[in-house]
Amino acid sequence: MYSKRLLLLIGIFLLAIPVTALANNDYNSKEFQSIISQLDMQGHANDELSTCKVKQMYFEEVAEMLNNGMTESEILQSYVDEYGQAALREPSQDKSGLIAWGMPLAGLGGGSVIVAYWIKKLKGKEKMNEEGDHLKWESEIEKEMLEKIFDEERRKHF
Amino acid sequence: MYVIGNTALYLGILISIYSLFANILGIRKKNNRWLESARGGVLSLVLLSSAASFLLLYILGTSQFQYKYVAAYTSENLPMVYKLTAFWAGNAGSLLLWLLLLCLYAGFLVFSKEKKNPMMPYASSILLLNILFFFLVILMSANPFEMSETIPSDGKGLNPMLQHPGMILHPVTLYLGYVGLAVPFAFAIAALMLKRVDAEWIKLTRRWTLVAWLFLTLGNIIGGWWAYLELGWGGYWAWDPVENASFLPWLTVSAFLHSVMIQERKGMLKTWNISLVILSYVLTLFGTFLVRSGILTSVHAFGNGNLGTYFLIFMAFMALLSIYVVMTRYQLIRKETNPIESYFSKESSFLLNNLILVAGAFAVFWGSMYPLISEVITGTKVNVGPPYFNKVMAPIMLGLIVLMAICPLIAWQKATVEKFLKNLIWPLTAGIVTAIVLIAVGVKGIFPIIGLASAVFMFATHIKEFVSGIKARMKATKENAAKASLRLLLKNQRRYGGYIVHIGIAVIAIGVISSTAYPKDVLQTVETGESFKIGQYELTFKGLTEHTENGNGIVAATLDVNHKGERVGEIKPEKIFYETWPEPSSEVAIKTNLTEDLYVVLSSWEDRDKVTLQAKVNPFVSWIWTGGMIMVIGTGISLIGGRTSRAYKLKPGTLKAGV
Repeated sequence: MYSKRLLLLIGIFLLAIPVTALANNDYNSKEFQSIISQLDMQGHANDELSTCKVKQMYFEEVAEMLNNGMTESEILQSYVDEYGQAALREPSQDKSGLIAWGMPLAGLGGGSVIVAYWIKKLKGKEKMNEEGDHLKWESEIEKEMLEKIFDEERRKHF
Repeated sequence: MYVIGNTALYLGILISIYSLFANILGIRKKNNRWLESARGGVLSLVLLSSAASFLLLYILGTSQFQYKYVAAYTSENLPMVYKLTAFWAGNAGSLLLWLLLLCLYAGFLVFSKEKKNPMMPYASSILLLNILFFFLVILMSANPFEMSETIPSDGKGLNPMLQHPGMILHPVTLYLGYVGLAVPFAFAIAALMLKRVDAEWIKLTRRWTLVAWLFLTLGNIIGGWWAYLELGWGGYWAWDPVENASFLPWLTVSAFLHSVMIQERKGMLKTWNISLVILSYVLTLFGTFLVRSGILTSVHAFGNGNLGTYFLIFMAFMALLSIYVVMTRYQLIRKETNPIESYFSKESSFLLNNLILVAGAFAVFWGSMYPLISEVITGTKVNVGPPYFNKVMAPIMLGLIVLMAICPLIAWQKATVEKFLKNLIWPLTAGIVTAIVLIAVGVKGIFPIIGLASAVFMFATHIKEFVSGIKARMKATKENAAKASLRLLLKNQRRYGGYIVHIGIAVIAIGVISSTAYPKDVLQTVETGESFKIGQYELTFKGLTEHTENGNGIVAATLDVNHKGERVGEIKPEKIFYETWPEPSSEVAIKTNLTEDLYVVLSSWEDRDKVTLQAKVNPFVSWIWTGGMIMVIGTGISLIGGRTSRAYKLKPGTLKAGV
């Protein structure tokens, strides 16, 4: 029993992931963090670093490129050259990403126009009703009764 | 067991078909006996789905590895609670859970006090269609009672990330929300079929919709909490397509819960409300389609091609059916409604609220689907991750917060600018003072400061509304403050419950903005006795220990924690090596106080005296969970209050007021 447990613990220590070698100050630099936060890392960006080999590889590569004197934009571009726009976590902010970025704005704009039109239409209706009410209805009860009749007729008709 | 399980599923199909036809015959022949029989059918479906579920729980709990599902998601040494929660760990079980909840909702509905309502057979038929689909899908593509040819000696075990209390709560609450939306949908279609497009169906389903929304809220909050504790990356919302799929119906139902008030009061927005309910329901199917089809990359995806196709077909069928019913009744729905009396009124502000919520839903939908759209159109996949969603959704959410700060101060029908400005002064001052204080204490970033100030503005508005209400009540009734507060809440639970929900949202907003804008993150290698700093914390590494627990090897780093120079205890981030899982799992150590979380992950080690740790300080994260609980309490209060459909029956003279 004792030896089995010992073997397991030895096994655990053998499994130790040698990320320590990567943990230099570069990882905590603003530049490094900024680059890493923009990379999709083949879908592993939100993985926990110590258990994700892909993420560790990216960390190593970026740290190495920074140490080699490459700038943030050069590093990001090198990944885009290799993997296409899918290397990054957001669409490009130039012309090619216009639809991605513009569509929510277009949706909001279109919606605003519809709501503005709707409110205006309903507001206009109030004026019409104000004028029409005196002519059509003699009392509220009569109005309600006729409205109910119209409603019933509508149901039958449609 | 195999025979009983499969018989329950086959019988479920037969009884669903029978009940559906019994309803149709009952409606056509106006025969109550057929309708009673259909109701009995629904009860049988509740029993059958319960029997199948209990059976699955039994085979999971007793580790019967001859069943493929049991062998795939459990193992002999798995704690009993996780053997049972493996019920919804895989495709087949989670579909059975969905079916069970759907049957339970249908059962509660057809035996509710509204069972004699003429809409009920129609609504029940819509739910039966859903039930039939799930029985069919389970039998055709994801049968949890499928057996293997050889019996393995042990199962594969449950993914370690799923061995967490979140696994007990998150899927069930989320499914209760998803499935619950089928009820208002069924009533909307029933109302259209019966050509009864007044507000009755809305009043009938108000509580059902609120229940579904409550569970969606709870499911999303618990999901965030679980991700934060378990995944180890320090966040709670990754804008993953499947997470987004659960956020989409939440947004549209939130819009619906506001716009129904306009229909109830003014008889307006009938088409819009029906469309929102249909959209919310279709979005739940869309979310399920995303999870089951695996068309988008997600940590939540089950990934089964066939199932995705079935869901796509069913979603298309239900959407087309809805569109057909709406179109054929459109002339009836668009009958004249009461006009808006003033541009400056609560009605207009609710329309704006709906615009923002639906625009938010559209933005989330667009972002989630864009990788697929870009690949189909251009042949190149473009990722849309958290940076995109944060940039797009931040202004939308800010607009919503500001609107929530202003809306309660605007009167129904016709608000006056003078009164509005008078009411606005105190909350707005609170917001402005917050911004000044934040700048004065050195907080950076204009957008987070605007966001935080707006959240405080919104919070203050609602507090002011409570205070004004209590004061007015005290003046009118001479009650003391405590009594007046309680009575105020009890007399108008719907309104003040809603305000409490808004307060919860303000608290969440503070948590989200702070933790997104001001996190601190350090990756540090330390030797025994060595210290490092993060924020106002100083962590000292005391050593690495190892032990076994339930057959799993655990390595833990012990760290002394000092906060502002004072020792506040120790933490032990761990790495667990599961016997049945190839990858080790990180157990995050978290030290929480009111304003921030110290979040430490054991990354790696070279030997017992040298480890690498990832430490984060996440400000105000606990406010997110607290805000979530406040929202749940507020929704609970709203649920208790509000008049039922019976109380709403029209009396002569009440039509104009729309009460």
